[in-house]
Amino acid sequence: METKPAAHIKTTTTSQKLAGLRRLVARFEPVVAQGPHIQTGFADIDAYLGTQVANAGLACGGLHEVVAARTGDMAAALGFAHRLAARFLDRPHTQDMLLYGQTHMACREAGQPYGPALGAHGLSADRLVYIDGARLPDLLWAGEEALLCSAIGCIVLSSWDEAPSFTASRRLSLAARAAERPLVMALGAQAGTSASAATTRWQVEALPQQGWQVRLTKLRMSHSAVPPNAGWTLYPQTMSQTLPLMERPAEISGVAQVRAG
Amino acid sequence: MPGVGAPLVTGRRIVALWFPYWAGETTQIPHDKTQSFALIERSKNAQRLVGLTPLAAQQGLSLGLSLADARALLPDLQTAMAEPMEAAARLQKCAYWLQRYTPWVGHNPPSDASHGENTDYGLLLDVSGCAHLFGGERALLADMQARFLKRGITAHAAMAGTVGAAWGLVRFGSTAKAKPQAWRQIIVPEGQEAEAVLPLPPAALRLSGGHIDLCQRLGLATINDLAGFARRELTCRFGPAPVLRLEQALGQAGESLNPCLPPPRFLVRHNLAHGVTQMEALAQLIADLCTRLAAQLERASHGAQRLDLALTRSDNAVLALSLPLAHPCADGAHMARLFEERLSRLSRGVDAGYGIEQLALAASRTAPIAQPQETMGAFEDGPRSKRRAVPIAALGSLYDRLVSRLGAQVVVRPVPYASYIPERAVKLVPVLAPDTQATNKQDLSASLPDPATRPLFMLCAPEPIEVIAEIPEGAPYRFRWRRVLHEITAAYGPERISPEWWAGLTGDTPAHHNRQTRDYYRLEDTQGHRFWVYRDGLYDRETTQPRWFMHGVFP
Repeated sequence: METKPAAHIKTTTTSQKLAGLRRLVARFEPVVAQGPHIQTGFADIDAYLGTQVANAGLACGGLHEVVAARTGDMAAALGFAHRLAARFLDRPHTQDMLLYGQTHMACREAGQPYGPALGAHGLSADRLVYIDGARLPDLLWAGEEALLCSAIGCIVLSSWDEAPSFTASRRLSLAARAAERPLVMALGAQAGTSASAATTRWQVEALPQQGWQVRLTKLRMSHSAVPPNAGWTLYPQTMSQTLPLMERPAEISGVAQVRAG
Repeated sequence: MPGVGAPLVTGRRIVALWFPYWAGETTQIPHDKTQSFALIERSKNAQRLVGLTPLAAQQGLSLGLSLADARALLPDLQTAMAEPMEAAARLQKCAYWLQRYTPWVGHNPPSDASHGENTDYGLLLDVSGCAHLFGGERALLADMQARFLKRGITAHAAMAGTVGAAWGLVRFGSTAKAKPQAWRQIIVPEGQEAEAVLPLPPAALRLSGGHIDLCQRLGLATINDLAGFARRELTCRFGPAPVLRLEQALGQAGESLNPCLPPPRFLVRHNLAHGVTQMEALAQLIADLCTRLAAQLERASHGAQRLDLALTRSDNAVLALSLPLAHPCADGAHMARLFEERLSRLSRGVDAGYGIEQLALAASRTAPIAQPQETMGAFEDGPRSKRRAVPIAALGSLYDRLVSRLGAQVVVRPVPYASYIPERAVKLVPVLAPDTQATNKQDLSASLPDPATRPLFMLCAPEPIEVIAEIPEGAPYRFRWRRVLHEITAAYGPERISPEWWAGLTGDTPAHHNRQTRDYYRLEDTQGHRFWVYRDGLYDRETTQPRWFMHGVFP
């Protein structure tokens, strides 16, 4: 295969072709190093990630994308992104800051993070540095700068209608890996799904009765880098407890069923 | 003379410059230079002339004349609306340029006169000890005025030992009312202010309009007449102002002159024989300046908190850049890197024109810093010292870089504020703002709501929504926001937030325009999107048609 990969590919079926190409890519794409990992705090997701790479959760040194499924789902996507950020910051022995940056468009459309609410999502307002509107290239630059800063524990960037190019995402991904610190990129539904070098990509959709439908559409953790097709319906604990709505069904537990594996 | 005390030798030499046609001569509004031109402003139900060209003044127009009167005199007068802000900005630029004569350039001193507030353009220079550099006082003024004349600006100049005397002489001096284009130049030798000032009309003392009228009614035609009275009589009749102004003019009372830029303590300059236009060379020069400044700072055990860079082009335009820093910094390499980023960010680069001839870098705000102790090799990687020292410095230099590229108002952090009004409960404060902790020392715990009842994202301003509710007092049934219709399936509320009636009473908290009670609801629509909306005003008690607003979204 190494000598004549092209000839080999020609004679096989599509799926075999893809597998062959993936193996080829896996050889010059560096596999995620055994850096620090975290548990997402959602039991089913953690169980799934554990099956993919032994004894590992979500890599700290990596670029994670959280994409809104529909226009109105940006809030849910950002909520999920902040959940991940809170877990990343929750590592022991760190008093690190969270850098949260938004593009101008995201500021106008999605609003600004509201300090008094951060506590409900495992974050603290006095550990937040916020970039209140910038152009996307400037924001990506800021993200890369912050990855070099040892006092920043996690970076969340949010863009409403524009996704970073593949080159930019690759650059950030390499920087995050080198720094062993995570960068979470939240993208609105309008940003589109461009090719990206992210370690993971999550698609988040709001569900009635305060739930999230979270799908993992990309996972670059194992050699195979097979696009996973896993989805979960999540009911984050704090919200279901503190947001009692009038017409809710009687019982909703914290984490519900796994849809696909 | 009874009222005039002994003249005091102040030891200062003040130049007052007065530009009688500043607005008209420097305007960028295109007009025919061979015809009269005037700038007008609407005030007190009339259009009045607030700026003239010398030609217009020659033809009998004066400031303050109404447009109708002016047109009666000169039917073909060209006019344009005045731009006082632009004229003031040009004057500020001119003040910077005048720093070639002295670092101490100030604006007009406070004046009691209210009439010519925005039509009187003048500057003051403290040239004590500077004149010999230009070949004497007369040569200094001649050089200054010739440069203004070359640009077509009429500049009257007077030099005296006090601010008051120079101010009065330049406006009301002896050669007044000559040909408008010819400029006036008055130099009063030291100690002779009294002789020069006393024959002037009382208006030369910066008196208010009422005082000048009173002087006229009393037949006091000159300052000498005024000074003839005993001081206490003057104070009884006029109040304290004229006496103070008189004493200031004669040098018997002190008067300070505030420079528009205080001279910096840490300053390095580089003059070039030939203008530099290449960016690489410029960056290298700036880096050199940073190194020199850092050495100056280090010797004094100071760190810069704010850097100002001024690039002077060969045509005397000054490009000024200023850079705030998170922590007092005496590291030349760090400063140079920040400037490099800043210059690369300028949208059109640096417009070097025909070349940049002078670079000046100043640390305009500094703070003492403790010299870091050199660590010995054996202890270098001691875990405790490392952990404590690194993050703050690292965060500071990150802030510097973010702010220098993105702007100071963009990189912020939330600071809680004691208020029940949701949008005022937190303030976004620039990370480089000095001491943001002390903004509000009130007990915050009283007003802290349950975080889960607050939206993770709050809109920059509440957006009006169209709501259909079953009853006006109830929760919304459906609403339209950003042209999308949302059917509500669940609602929780209301959470009633009353206006802060005490806001605006104490003065430290600004009164907000909204003084109605808000009822907040948490809503969820059929698709699972969650919102925080409020009804502005209590139905039937505060308003009959309450308006609804979208204020935030829950994840």
